[in-house]
Amino acid sequence: MAQGDDQLKLVTQLADTNSDLVRRVLIAWPRDEVFLIDQPDGSKVAVLMEDAQDADGKSNAIRIDTGDYLKDATGNPQKFFPDDLTSVDTDMRLKTVIKNTLELMTLADPDPENRRSAVMKLGMLQKLAYVPVLQARIQKETDARVKSALAQAIDIIQLKSPDSTTQIAAIRDLGALDSIAGLDDIKAVIDDPHSTPDAVTVARKSLGQINTYLSWVDFYGTLFRGLSLGSILLVVALGLAITFGLMGVINMAHGELIAVGAYTCYVVENVFGSGLSLSPFGLSFHIPGLNLSGWQFQTYFLFAIPAAFMAAALAGIVLERFVIRFLYRRPLESLLATWGVSLILQQSFRIFFGANNVSVNSPSWLSGNFTVSDVILGYNRIFVIGFAIVIVFLTWLLLSRTPLGLLIRAVMQNRNMAACMGVRTERVNMLTFAFGSGLAGLAGAFLSQIGNVGPNLGQNYIVDAFMTVVVGGVGNLFGTVYSALGIGAFDEILQQVFGSPVVGKITVLVCIILFLQWRPSGLFATRGRGLDT
Amino acid sequence: MQKTFAKWEALAIVVIAAVGLVVIPCLNAFLPHSSPFYISDFAINLWGRYCCYATLAMSVDLLWGYTGLLSLGQCLYFSLGGYMMGMYLMRMIGSLGQYHKSIPDFLVFLGWTKLPAFWVPFASFPFALAMVILLPATLGLVFGFLAFRSRIRGVYFSILTQALTYAACLLFFRNNILMGGNNGFTDFKFMLGFDTRSYSTQRGLYIASVLFLLIVYLGFKWLTATKLGKVQRAIRDSENRVLFSGYAAANFKLFIFVLACVTAALAGALYVPQVGIINPAEMSTEKSLEAVVWVAVGGRGTLVGPVVGAIFVNALKSWATRAFPDSWLFILGGMFLLVVLFLPRGLVGLVEHAVRLLKRAPEQPPAPSDPAPSAASPPPPAAVTRLPAE
Repeated sequence: MAQGDDQLKLVTQLADTNSDLVRRVLIAWPRDEVFLIDQPDGSKVAVLMEDAQDADGKSNAIRIDTGDYLKDATGNPQKFFPDDLTSVDTDMRLKTVIKNTLELMTLADPDPENRRSAVMKLGMLQKLAYVPVLQARIQKETDARVKSALAQAIDIIQLKSPDSTTQIAAIRDLGALDSIAGLDDIKAVIDDPHSTPDAVTVARKSLGQINTYLSWVDFYGTLFRGLSLGSILLVVALGLAITFGLMGVINMAHGELIAVGAYTCYVVENVFGSGLSLSPFGLSFHIPGLNLSGWQFQTYFLFAIPAAFMAAALAGIVLERFVIRFLYRRPLESLLATWGVSLILQQSFRIFFGANNVSVNSPSWLSGNFTVSDVILGYNRIFVIGFAIVIVFLTWLLLSRTPLGLLIRAVMQNRNMAACMGVRTERVNMLTFAFGSGLAGLAGAFLSQIGNVGPNLGQNYIVDAFMTVVVGGVGNLFGTVYSALGIGAFDEILQQVFGSPVVGKITVLVCIILFLQWRPSGLFATRGRGLDT
Repeated sequence: MQKTFAKWEALAIVVIAAVGLVVIPCLNAFLPHSSPFYISDFAINLWGRYCCYATLAMSVDLLWGYTGLLSLGQCLYFSLGGYMMGMYLMRMIGSLGQYHKSIPDFLVFLGWTKLPAFWVPFASFPFALAMVILLPATLGLVFGFLAFRSRIRGVYFSILTQALTYAACLLFFRNNILMGGNNGFTDFKFMLGFDTRSYSTQRGLYIASVLFLLIVYLGFKWLTATKLGKVQRAIRDSENRVLFSGYAAANFKLFIFVLACVTAALAGALYVPQVGIINPAEMSTEKSLEAVVWVAVGGRGTLVGPVVGAIFVNALKSWATRAFPDSWLFILGGMFLLVVLFLPRGLVGLVEHAVRLLKRAPEQPPAPSDPAPSAASPPPPAAVTRLPAE
């Protein structure tokens, strides 16, 4: 092994070898996991330890020079304790060089996302030495986004160029590329007293360009997040729009029905996986799992969606039969009774699933995101939006295009008159409530993909959901759609403006209270002839 | 109801007042600990708190049982009163806090070196007391004015009060409004020069709580017997008819609402020095709903009901949370369901029903000679729920 600067140079040259062993050595070295072992003949051999350990905690040693196992005289692989060996020293300088070399090696990584992040990191270093490497790479690069990242990185590095024409060209380029990554470096050029006046002028112009672009990115990002937040609210509130808006039942347990859906998702996920042990009331039982993996496991969510709907709808039917049907004429009391139910359900969740939040792993096709001109679009958020559209459409279809929908609307308009016409109002009430509850379950399936699932999951949404329905106009589904999207977007914008989710939320609530001054019966009031409607 | 008080009721009030205000404190103060009649300091403190809860419950009942306004945010006013009193108590700690600075500990923790301006006048007890009344009253006035002006009623009113409480709760959780954030105020030392941790001060606070409860009871009793009380109940039963009769229902409701808010706030102000802490959790919507449970369990539309309910539910809670920590929410939720479905008039209604059964049984044989059988048995209770206007 060479010493000092030679060593640094050698390490840098290793970047071109692109061998797996080199990468492993470079990763292990700064962690003091490369060892020197004295050989019988007096020489020293540098080795890397394998991760796999035998029963004694010893591992095989891999020779760095050949890549084979280090063998004893008889040809068997020798085993060592890592603690017994002397590791090869590194210093800060060497570590930095190793890190950068690793980044350079990543430039050839098969995954474009890894390549891109390596490019950006190298750009940030602003070392002119890397420019030729990156320029060589840009010729070979096929992925458009990595190419753009390479161009930006080269420009960012060239900001440090002693040649002022190169520098100015780089600044101009960065502006044209709308490079967000270059923003800080361009600012540095403006602040740098050594910059030429020309460079500063161009930098100011580029800065303006990038800032304009950035505000557009922010705007679309906020819009997108607002839309997805609105969609969540919409799905949560849609069930309520049916039970509260159409039926006039104040179901404070709606939040817990959402949690029922979310926990159903959790159970289904575990059944597809390794099973689930529950121990309520000191009893313990085990739900066996199917032990699926790979794509089969990933499909669990497709089964979880209908399961969540059914579970919540079933809970809704029980709730309707045993509690709510006695209270149709007493809305204030239905509020209180269902609150009692909500307490009981919350405690049941705690007893069955524990007081702590559980996490539901999103299927791989829902995690991740893609970027359209620097606006990050999460798959789950897109899914939420699409799902909300589908649910609203199906609900509309059910209510306005099916015989059941006709009956529902008839009963909700005038229960007595419908009964006179031979509609079995009890049954329609039950089905409507079950449908509304099922929608809550769907919302729960949804929320389980976005955050953790806990006994208080529903409580976080219940006030917002009621507000959404009231603002939209009770008894009007499309009012709920508009108000959910409006409140979602408004909330997200206010969060941006105030920089704090809580202040944004408080402002939204106060605004809603004030809005109801102007329109006490919401955006779309259902007009009736009765005084009390 | 010609007379405000029936004879037996007046007697009962005097007896309860004498026991609560004189006998119990004396038993606590003068008996040796070994005496079987000795009342422990813990019990005194506990009953002081129950009295505050009972007062809060009465304010809920004045709105819900008598005016038909189910407020799910009464705890907001209760805690606001508590916070105002808490600010005074925090100032009284002086430099005895953890950091030995002249400003409250949490402000030191947040990096303040000087007292924020709005904290300065709270060193004065009269000012703090004025704020205990004025702040909740102002909030109640503004909110009530907005709500009643646009004729928000029934469940909409309930949902709005809940939303307001939720918003306030979120606000008080924040550190930057300088009200103690998550932890609220605690570690109180002195109140009006007395050490709040000493038993004699706690006894004084207990007496004040009982006294306040009595005053509120008598005051509400009187109020609901006046003409205003009649309008109040008329609004509950059919607001539209009241409107058509030429009454400005909104003004009546506003007055009652503000009165209830102030009552709750004063109860909160008495509550905080007894528990020694006030934090935003007291403001959560669940707490407000719990206060509604007390009223429902005790029996709404009566004034004894909330008192009985508050004491009963809280005593049950103290016992059950120790005996069955996992099942308390089941008990509370189940009780709520049971009361709403089967006992719409609560425990008081149950007792009245039992009394009527007992009275009727022996009265039946000599009944024919009784000239006024219908007067003896009270008319069926006024419909508790609003009758469908058909």
